[in-house]
Amino acid sequence: MFKEVFNHIFKKPSTGKYPFVKCVPAEGFRGQQVFDINLCVACGLCSRDCPAKAIEMVDVEGKKRPMFLLDRCIFCYQCAESCPRNAIKSTDLFELATTDKSSLVIKPKAAPKPAGTQS
Amino acid sequence: MPKSNIDIVKTLESKLSSKSVQILPGQLGTATVKVAPGDHRDVFRALVDADEYTAISAISGLDLGANLGVYYHVRTSNAFLTIEVEVPKDNPKIQTVNDIAPSATFHELEVSDLIGVVVEGNPRSGHFVLPETWPEGVFPLRKNVNASEVKQNPPLPEEKSDEGKLVKIVIGPQHPALLEPEKFAVLVEGETVKAVQPRIGYVHRGVEKASESRSYLQDVYLVERICGICNSCHATGFVEAVERILKTEVPPRGKYLRTIILEVNRIHSHLLTLGHAGLEIGYETLFQYFWRDREPIMDLQEILTGNRVVSSSLTVGGVRRDLKDTDIPKIRSVLSDLRKRLPFYTELYQNEPSIRARMQNVGTLKREDALKLGVVGPVARGSGVDIDIRKDDPYEAYGEIPFNEIVRSSGDTWARMNVRMDEVEESIKIIEYALDHMPTGAYRVKVPRVVPAGEAIARVEAPRGELFYYVKANGSTMPERVKVRTPTFSNIPAFLKTAIGETIADVPPNFVSLDPCFSCTDR
Amino acid sequence: MNGEETVIDYLLLLFRVLVFPGFTFIVLFTMFCDWVERKFEARMQNRMGPTFTGPGGILQPIADFIKLLTKEEITPCETKRNIYRYAPILAFSVLVFALCFLPIDGSSVIPGVSFAGDLIFVMALVSIANFALFLAGWSSSNPYSAVGAARVLTQFLGYDIPLVLLALAPAFLAKSLTISTIVSSQWLPFAILAPWAFVLFVITMQAELEKDPFDVPHAESEVVGGHETEYSGGKLAFLKLARDVQIVFGAGLISVLFLGGANGPVPFGFLPQFWGTLWFVLKVLGIVLVSEYMTVLFARLRIDQVVRANWRIILPLSILSLILTVSLTYWIFPLV
Repeated sequence: MFKEVFNHIFKKPSTGKYPFVKCVPAEGFRGQQVFDINLCVACGLCSRDCPAKAIEMVDVEGKKRPMFLLDRCIFCYQCAESCPRNAIKSTDLFELATTDKSSLVIKPKAAPKPAGTQS
Repeated sequence: MPKSNIDIVKTLESKLSSKSVQILPGQLGTATVKVAPGDHRDVFRALVDADEYTAISAISGLDLGANLGVYYHVRTSNAFLTIEVEVPKDNPKIQTVNDIAPSATFHELEVSDLIGVVVEGNPRSGHFVLPETWPEGVFPLRKNVNASEVKQNPPLPEEKSDEGKLVKIVIGPQHPALLEPEKFAVLVEGETVKAVQPRIGYVHRGVEKASESRSYLQDVYLVERICGICNSCHATGFVEAVERILKTEVPPRGKYLRTIILEVNRIHSHLLTLGHAGLEIGYETLFQYFWRDREPIMDLQEILTGNRVVSSSLTVGGVRRDLKDTDIPKIRSVLSDLRKRLPFYTELYQNEPSIRARMQNVGTLKREDALKLGVVGPVARGSGVDIDIRKDDPYEAYGEIPFNEIVRSSGDTWARMNVRMDEVEESIKIIEYALDHMPTGAYRVKVPRVVPAGEAIARVEAPRGELFYYVKANGSTMPERVKVRTPTFSNIPAFLKTAIGETIADVPPNFVSLDPCFSCTDR
Repeated sequence: MNGEETVIDYLLLLFRVLVFPGFTFIVLFTMFCDWVERKFEARMQNRMGPTFTGPGGILQPIADFIKLLTKEEITPCETKRNIYRYAPILAFSVLVFALCFLPIDGSSVIPGVSFAGDLIFVMALVSIANFALFLAGWSSSNPYSAVGAARVLTQFLGYDIPLVLLALAPAFLAKSLTISTIVSSQWLPFAILAPWAFVLFVITMQAELEKDPFDVPHAESEVVGGHETEYSGGKLAFLKLARDVQIVFGAGLISVLFLGGANGPVPFGFLPQFWGTLWFVLKVLGIVLVSEYMTVLFARLRIDQVVRANWRIILPLSILSLILTVSLTYWIFPLV
């Protein structure tokens, strides 16, 4: 143990200077979800299967779309698995702490209309 | 592996032929014994006399409508029995068995607290698992009780009790020695411990009751969050029990992937405990070194499952994500780096003078006490009791993978920590074997959402010991009853016994050596 | 001082006592030693240590002190009020006063105050400071504090005896009990002349300062905070500062008795105070690093093992060391 401890004086520390130096999670990390409204068919399976009741179906332009409540979400991605159209995918965003609870409610945004149609 | 040739079923049939006992052999080496309330003590006496490994694994309380079911789950050296007793709801009295089998004490208290069975001979004063403000007479696991509507009493100030000349040092609920809150009132005279009074239930979240109002798919995630450290084991126990009811077979690739995830979980948990033990004896350097070497394992869990701690990768029918071939070299390199560091730590735990001074002959648990109290896991294996579910009742891919069972006989804190240290090496071997012999093909099968009526038992070797799951289905999408018995719940009585007669300074290393996880204990 | 003393002389005296090498210097040096300790311990444990406050984290101890001063102070109603309130300040001031007797820059801080036998006086002051720490624990009505305070008392009373016996070795070699005489008669550091006493003194000082492996009074996993449990806010800041000053005092005593204090190998005529202080600082830092290395290396012993180590190992060895030193001084080194 003597030698081991002495050798460590000359080694680089293994801790990093977070938050000035960020670490990148591995591929497939279950971070914040990203939802593609163009693929959604409004089946409601994501909301039904969510273990934490973190998805509520809200009305967007006449159809029911999922609204994510990130303060309840446990990031298990059962919603992504249950979705028959793969509309929910994961990103590697994990720094979600905030002082404003309303920023954790992700409302589905209506799909942008293609140019040339009436609004 | 069966340890003896005792045929429990035949023994019971020959000894109890005069009583009204009904024995039904079940699946996978289990048997169900239906017995009337007065005769269950004779069944226990016959079992304890026949086999020294007899111990109560769990006691499930069920609400069967007009009756309350008290199911004793008993493990012996080569069989697992369920002794079913039913008592009427308007007079739920049953006699205790903890004079014949001392491992029953805690389980009987819990059953009487949660479902309201009055156990004669083992009285309960106050609440055992429920908080002090819970009203008397309201039993949460009964079907007519909606737990969120129960009105709790206002908290009362704690009464002062007179211990005479004994000083009461209270360890917990908030204490630097404990990771999670529990209260242990240690009565000392000078510096010697005379008695320990436990109070558990500070983290009781009612998971068993909550699982009855969620679907099976959602319950996998609920059950996983009983414990952060051994979360994959809880998920494994639950999905195995459900798969046994459904009679589905998981494809071989799924079994091997589950084994790899479970063993990575075991390495991570053992490294955590070994480092935490260093902190308890004041050896902060050891703690920092162990946790630094644990970081690559957390990254490995992130590669395998998508999250560093809670894996969420098991589901009914298989695993949720496949192992990519591009990840396998990274896994192998992390494991070989860890293997290079192991000789330094093994030598440290075996030969370093200050560790030996603090851990040898501290908290000694003799073999016969370990057998009688029904302890599990490394606590049992450190006292010479060779029980390991991976060998005794193989599940997943453990039947096909060769590995050694680590048993030491001195029974003190030092033996227990060394058992864990050696098991890390064995886990690395298991993962490498599984990677070498990984079958190809599907890793998951589709299962129906509605589970037909039935019941099943699953036992998993968590890093802390035997984890027990009993699931009863009733033909709907939600389970009727889920009973979880975690290993620390069975090990706490061992601590109450080994702490007596030691000094107060020995209590933290003794305590940490049984690797307490109170989120598991309280569910 | 004889005859007339001008205002300048009084101002110089005030400067010496309050700023350099007196109170301010001692406090700042203590915080610097604290930073060195923490950074060294962190590097040995393969982590960063204080990094973000100031360049390399050097302002961290000051930041911690100021933070504690701004926190709320909660006093339990059953404490013995006056002892509880004044014990931290008493410990701190006694230790700073004891440090003033060590010749930091060649002569003691309050000039002309050293007298024959002030080595014993300084050791007695340290005992009073430790006793103040015991009182801090005893006056808070908390079973953890009571057990921690009892352990402080057991440990420092037990280890004070070998400490005094070993401190007599340089006194014999210098033929005087005055600290400044001991320093000035070290043409060769006494650590080389009497190495057995030096090694034993460093180990016994480790026990006196309550550092690993003799860390028992601060054992968090058993007695939460020991004697510091019920303290918060400004009083806790002074308790912690008292402990740090104690460590600097211990290292200072070792360097004064055994390593030659403010004497350097090369005498500089120009500005002797600066060079003397520099040598003193370097020697104290060296002892602090060695002591921290021992801390990191070992686990914590139990109280009964600590007591047994004292009466069965350290005390007989210190008596033997005294006999050895006396015989060497009078029979072999008559010229020292």
